[in-house]
Amino acid sequence: MVDKNMRILVVDDALTMRRIVINLLRQLGFTNMNEADDGTTAWEKLQSETFDLIISDWNMPKMTGIDLLRKVRADAKYGRTPFIMVTAEGKRENVITAVQAGVSNYIVKPFNAATLKEKLVKVVGDF
Amino acid sequence: MTNKISLMERIALLEQTQQGQMIPAEEVWKLLDSVKEMFGEKTDGVHGHSSELYRELGELAKFINSAKKELQEVKASNIADEHLPNATNHLDAIVQMTEQATGRIMDECDQIGNFHNDVKERLLSADPAIDPNILMGVDDALNQAQTSVTHIFEACNFQDITVQRVQKVVKALQEIERQVLRMVVVFGLVENQSKLDEATRQELTEDVALLQGPQLAGQGLEQDDIDAILAKLL
Repeated sequence: MVDKNMRILVVDDALTMRRIVINLLRQLGFTNMNEADDGTTAWEKLQSETFDLIISDWNMPKMTGIDLLRKVRADAKYGRTPFIMVTAEGKRENVITAVQAGVSNYIVKPFNAATLKEKLVKVVGDF
Repeated sequence: MTNKISLMERIALLEQTQQGQMIPAEEVWKLLDSVKEMFGEKTDGVHGHSSELYRELGELAKFINSAKKELQEVKASNIADEHLPNATNHLDAIVQMTEQATGRIMDECDQIGNFHNDVKERLLSADPAIDPNILMGVDDALNQAQTSVTHIFEACNFQDITVQRVQKVVKALQEIERQVLRMVVVFGLVENQSKLDEATRQELTEDVALLQGPQLAGQGLEQDDIDAILAKLL
């Protein structure tokens, strides 16, 4: 079973979206969430702390979600850490690019708690 | 993103970014004069060709003049300097207002969640203890209410989608503004163009990658389509 106390990093430049994702995670029983408003800040947090799951937007200033994903996958510490992309980019080429970069799963906005749970089950196991 | 710089500054920016791609009207006139002069010298005695060329050049000159007048009449510089930036500002205001309103809705939802937890704790610690059947009924009702709160949070997705759609429209407006500015510069409708400082130039050029908006209904892929692709690739 999934440890509901796992460390989750939610990355999105939109405060609204961070709040939505964190609230939905809370509703699903997760208790240990942290947030970053762009890829650069996320990367700094990933270096200074340890996270078990990353949920990131694609379009962000400074460092995009796809760049963050590539950085994470190239890193020895996070090479195999589950990474879910949450984005409005629903184009086939975007999905393929994300898969090639090593994304664990992909959620297109707008989404609901059921979709988030389904994806979480796929990447971290049932709960 | 709001442009808080003057028309002159934006024209200067455009000239810098488009350097070598535009020919100001004055240059066109100079070019026409030199062509005229050149053919005037070389075609003495070949009256047929030079008069045809003069006629074509005359037509071209008339076209430029007439386009310039039309642009002055529609006040192209006002469109670029006032109307388009104003439209962009209105769209920025929409983004801010929806962001504030969504923030308030979510604050209230958080409060409702806190009330639910508070009510549950009070009921469980009531002395004398409350009938377990009643407690279960209340707990079910509170859970249903919490589910509704979750649905409100889910619905707040609209704000992020709205912002991205607005950014797409802003991008289109900025492109129109750029094209109008080009015409203003090419036809020399303003003078005394100033230079931009580095900070302003940077402000105008950053975040371009962020301006791609979300897909419209029926365009792009739905979650089911994405799942089908993922099923093949992952």
